[in-house]
Amino acid sequence: MLIQITVNGETRGVHAPPLMSLGRVLREEFHLTGTKLVCGEGFCGSCQVFLDDEAVNSCLVPIATADGRQVRTIESIAEPRGPLSPVQQALKDADAVQCGMCFPGMIVSITSFLENCPHPSRLDVQAALVGNLCRCTGYERIVDAVVMLGAEG
Amino acid sequence: MQSAIGANYPRRDAEDKLRGRVKFTIDHDSGQMLHVALLRSEVPSGRLIALDLEPARRMLGVRGVISAPDAPGIYGVMVADHPLFVVDEIRYTGEPIAAVAADSLEIAQAAVAAIRVEIEEFAPLFTMAEAVAPGARELHPGWRDYEMLAGEGERDGNISWQSTVVRGDVDGEFARDDVTIVETLYRAGRQNQTPFEPRAVVASYEGGRFVITTSTQFPWSVRSGVARVVGVQPSDVRVIVPTVGGGFGLKFEMSLEPFAALLARETGRSVKFVNSRQEEQQTALCRENAEIRIRSAVTATGEIVGREGIMMMDCGAYSGEQPFLCSMVTHTLFGSYKLGSARLVSQSVYTSTPPTGAFRACCGTYCVAALERHTDEICARMGFDRWEFRRQNVLGDGDLGPTGDTFKGDVLGPMLDRMVELRKRSTGIRSHHDGLLYGTSITVGTWFIFVGPSAATINLNPDGTATLITAGVEIGSGSTMQAIPQIVADVLQIPIGNVTVREADTDSAGYDGGAGGGRSTVSLGAASADAAVDVKRKVLELAADMLEVDAVDLVLENGRVFVDGVPSVSVSIQEVAALAQHTTGPIAGTGAFTGIGNRAVAGCAAGHYIGALDLPVFAVHEADVSVDPDTGHVTVIDYRVVQDVGRAINPRAVYGQIQGGVTQGLGYALHEEITFDDHGRVRQQGFETYRIPLSGDTVPVLVDLFEGAPSFGPLGVKGAGEVPILNVAAAISCAVADAIGRPVFEIPLTPERVLSLIHERPGAGVDLPHVQTDWRTAVIGDVEELLRVAPR
Amino acid sequence: MRLASVSNVRLVIPNTVGEAVDLIASKDDPALPLAGGTWVLRGAVRGDGFEPTYVLVSRLPELQTIDWGEGFLSIGAAVTHQQLADALTKESSLGGLFAAAGKSANPAIRRVATVGGNLAATDFAAGDLVPALIVAGAAIHLIDEQGKRTVTVSDFLACRAELLRGALLTHVTIPLGTGISAHERLTLRHAGDYPVAIADIHVELGDDGIVKNATVAIGSVEAVARSWPTLADRLIGSVLDSKIAELATRDLSDEVRPRDGVDASSWYRLQVLPTVVSRAIRTLLHAGGHGC
Repeated sequence: MLIQITVNGETRGVHAPPLMSLGRVLREEFHLTGTKLVCGEGFCGSCQVFLDDEAVNSCLVPIATADGRQVRTIESIAEPRGPLSPVQQALKDADAVQCGMCFPGMIVSITSFLENCPHPSRLDVQAALVGNLCRCTGYERIVDAVVMLGAEG
Repeated sequence: MQSAIGANYPRRDAEDKLRGRVKFTIDHDSGQMLHVALLRSEVPSGRLIALDLEPARRMLGVRGVISAPDAPGIYGVMVADHPLFVVDEIRYTGEPIAAVAADSLEIAQAAVAAIRVEIEEFAPLFTMAEAVAPGARELHPGWRDYEMLAGEGERDGNISWQSTVVRGDVDGEFARDDVTIVETLYRAGRQNQTPFEPRAVVASYEGGRFVITTSTQFPWSVRSGVARVVGVQPSDVRVIVPTVGGGFGLKFEMSLEPFAALLARETGRSVKFVNSRQEEQQTALCRENAEIRIRSAVTATGEIVGREGIMMMDCGAYSGEQPFLCSMVTHTLFGSYKLGSARLVSQSVYTSTPPTGAFRACCGTYCVAALERHTDEICARMGFDRWEFRRQNVLGDGDLGPTGDTFKGDVLGPMLDRMVELRKRSTGIRSHHDGLLYGTSITVGTWFIFVGPSAATINLNPDGTATLITAGVEIGSGSTMQAIPQIVADVLQIPIGNVTVREADTDSAGYDGGAGGGRSTVSLGAASADAAVDVKRKVLELAADMLEVDAVDLVLENGRVFVDGVPSVSVSIQEVAALAQHTTGPIAGTGAFTGIGNRAVAGCAAGHYIGALDLPVFAVHEADVSVDPDTGHVTVIDYRVVQDVGRAINPRAVYGQIQGGVTQGLGYALHEEITFDDHGRVRQQGFETYRIPLSGDTVPVLVDLFEGAPSFGPLGVKGAGEVPILNVAAAISCAVADAIGRPVFEIPLTPERVLSLIHERPGAGVDLPHVQTDWRTAVIGDVEELLRVAPR
Repeated sequence: MRLASVSNVRLVIPNTVGEAVDLIASKDDPALPLAGGTWVLRGAVRGDGFEPTYVLVSRLPELQTIDWGEGFLSIGAAVTHQQLADALTKESSLGGLFAAAGKSANPAIRRVATVGGNLAATDFAAGDLVPALIVAGAAIHLIDEQGKRTVTVSDFLACRAELLRGALLTHVTIPLGTGISAHERLTLRHAGDYPVAIADIHVELGDDGIVKNATVAIGSVEAVARSWPTLADRLIGSVLDSKIAELATRDLSDEVRPRDGVDASSWYRLQVLPTVVSRAIRTLLHAGGHGC
């Protein structure tokens, strides 16, 4: 099926089986490998991207349903030679990263969350991250970074 | 320049990871590559009668199909019992029977589905109880002829290995009329490492060699393992390791690499092979399940005069690491405390389930849990305070360890004292009248640093920067991103940003024993420090010529070499390096490191890969929990850790490891369960049912880093990455038992399991009839000989 | 004949509901409706595979609306959990439905998973919306080649595989009434799981705080969510009391056919159900402002 999709500001047609996941198409057709496919079930959030400004699990979005819509991936959060976004910088300052696999999805999720809830409490952040799993870090620095960012902004 | 040691340098790979730029093995561009799918057995036990690969070979887009005849070598860690493909006997659901490389993953999977297989099914032996029952079928009928790869141990039928310890007169001590005998049972289930990057590999065949890019923790073991299985020389295999998306021990062994390598040679193309999440759930080399019986004879004054242990660990279909881990049971289950006499038998048992392997602190997690539950039961029975009893009995300077070697330094005792201080920083248990049950725990544990050979080379570049070349892998802990460059920068007195760390490649780097076991910072750090010292010596020699003084009068500080006390007479490292290009030749240094080789006392330990610990590491953990008596839910309120780090090279990185390791431990203790159905399939097929902790399931861990314990690591460091998980199952088991007022003898403590304990539901208890009550009956081989040679 | 992979799966995009129904009702190549896709795309993980043909229904305008009509709330089948939660407030009589839509699964799933998808997933026992719709008195609206059809949620659940064959679920209507409702779910972790037991309760209280009408539904405990009229009857005629409700639930436990699952056994679901019901009552007490 020919799908028209705008990815990180660039509109393109792509041929893909209509039920192939958006996550796979992004990685294999667009070579945007920042988005990670980890669980395939929508539980871990590592594959999150923006679909028309909403953070969704790209592993569960059939590519055909993204036809005519806007997708933004982790690669669009900061310009290649530009500074990190406030969320990325906060996570870097907190020394929160370990293996790195969950962070792209985590950043999309947090960025989306802060747009809707700019000054969250710790509990607000934990509720927002119910769909973002991390195996390495034990979460505290991530939550700390988001709360601090919300307090500053 | 401030010393790099003890500073919280940020990790240099953070930015790329935050931007999504890092290319893990799974991200290698598959445009030109073939894709691999495995035909895996759908039955747990049987004999392969017929295998017809033709339907797959004929399919459009299929480029290569391989099976057992293509991989003649037999693999193993201690015992060579593991063929790459099913030869005739099928031993677990998920076992590879054939492999296909095709133009797309879909074609490869369709080809696998087209392969015709005929299997005669046998009755599987799913549990250790079934496997060791009298008359049980041998899952490895040829076990007697298996090649032993590293040492000797008793084996018999489905007992793939046995380790024993005998020290002193256990029978005599237990027979005393002034002791109380306490016995504890404990059982632990499997835990899946679940690194977010699954096992993945890209392979090609170039110039008669296999070139393998893989997500591994131990490139040199992949090199030797692939060579063995394929039947070539190790030097015909090159292993390159990009950034690894988590390992936790799953990637400490070769796994997908030989399939990809063989298909690359078969097809002449590059081949990419990534396990699906379901394949990882089914075939991960999980932390093994185990069953333990431990009993002690304790005097009224709290002296442990005798301890006996009988335990079994489930190695699954192939023995793998577990024979090695039998010796680690000794140092964990029988560690931490002074024992007047000791007798232990640890057996690894074959079952018709996927093979188990190494996961962060391995058997230490359940051994410490069993030991600490046992210690709490001793205290409860005999009226001892739980902290006081531990303080009195933990090993100190000059005390004998389980195998009779002498421990150096007072570490656990002072760590217990520090925990008393740390406790003051917590909010403490509130006993609200809210219907919840509250409990707390204090636990001690011993693990070890898996020191082992490491090599390092440092090139001093003409611009005065340094390139560090090792086979070390970055799996997420940051050791190659922070601690090790810090060590090198400290010796060479150059800014840490001027130390480049080369990605692991077995063609350029010397041997390294793998990233895991807490060893990177110690072994690789020591080898790197050694290489840096070598470079420094050469720099000083050349500088001495330049300054026309003796090298012994020179010091190196802040990137400059100068005469001690006369800073005006100096040259920069850059100037020395530049000059070297034209005089001595480019400056490089090499370094190496290996363990000391501590040994057990003669006659004490049989079947041990590690007789005594070169470098023990200790941990003290406490947990405060609440339990909901209506639903069985356990909430962790507070968690405290005193960790023995030797020297904290990068304290912030250590705190990160502790937060992550404790959280993983909470998953092990409370949420993560692996069960099998009648077809040998893991029921928990993905993240819906295999529940790893969310942010709301953990707490900020309170940490005190204990420095100064004896360590021959560089700068006195001990590795910190592995041990944070060690005591968690113990701390939670003991705290929950304290809260509900009933014994806890099994993990995970899911809400259902806790509620079953509270309600004393029939079958909620643990009964281990196949774990012998009598040590002599449990031991295979010549029991009397073991007793005869044992030290008094 | 189910397909193992998505490669050969066909997706048709209809312009009208009529076209969609034709595709669904087709004899040689019946198409299965696809809305959000969160259930269908997990087919490979479940080992179910895929149908050969799907029809994309999420873009049909009739399925996307949320309409506050004359005494009824109409919710299109393609409305997502998040859209539904955003449209409701917890003060209204639909507080339970608000909680169900706003707490299920996780935020990212809620933005994509649909009302219709939840209702149509016949092998998904733990859906949050289904028991909430039962106590809300919802009606399910379908359309097939013979025309439109309306059934109660309970009737729908009793034979939904049959009802859905050849038919498209277009929307759900809920009568706007008085009273308060609560949705209580028990997960095994702190959050993020599918619940092991769900209780939905809707009550109408008199000025004296006495329950005049009640509806109770349980979900995830049995294979299919259902109404529990005998428990509802026990609530009527007294003030709300969480302890009494808990005891009543325990008393009526024999009526429940709990299911075993990978996450929890039938024993556990039955054990915790009284607590889940009692917690739902406590939520109602806070909402209604009547004490005890």
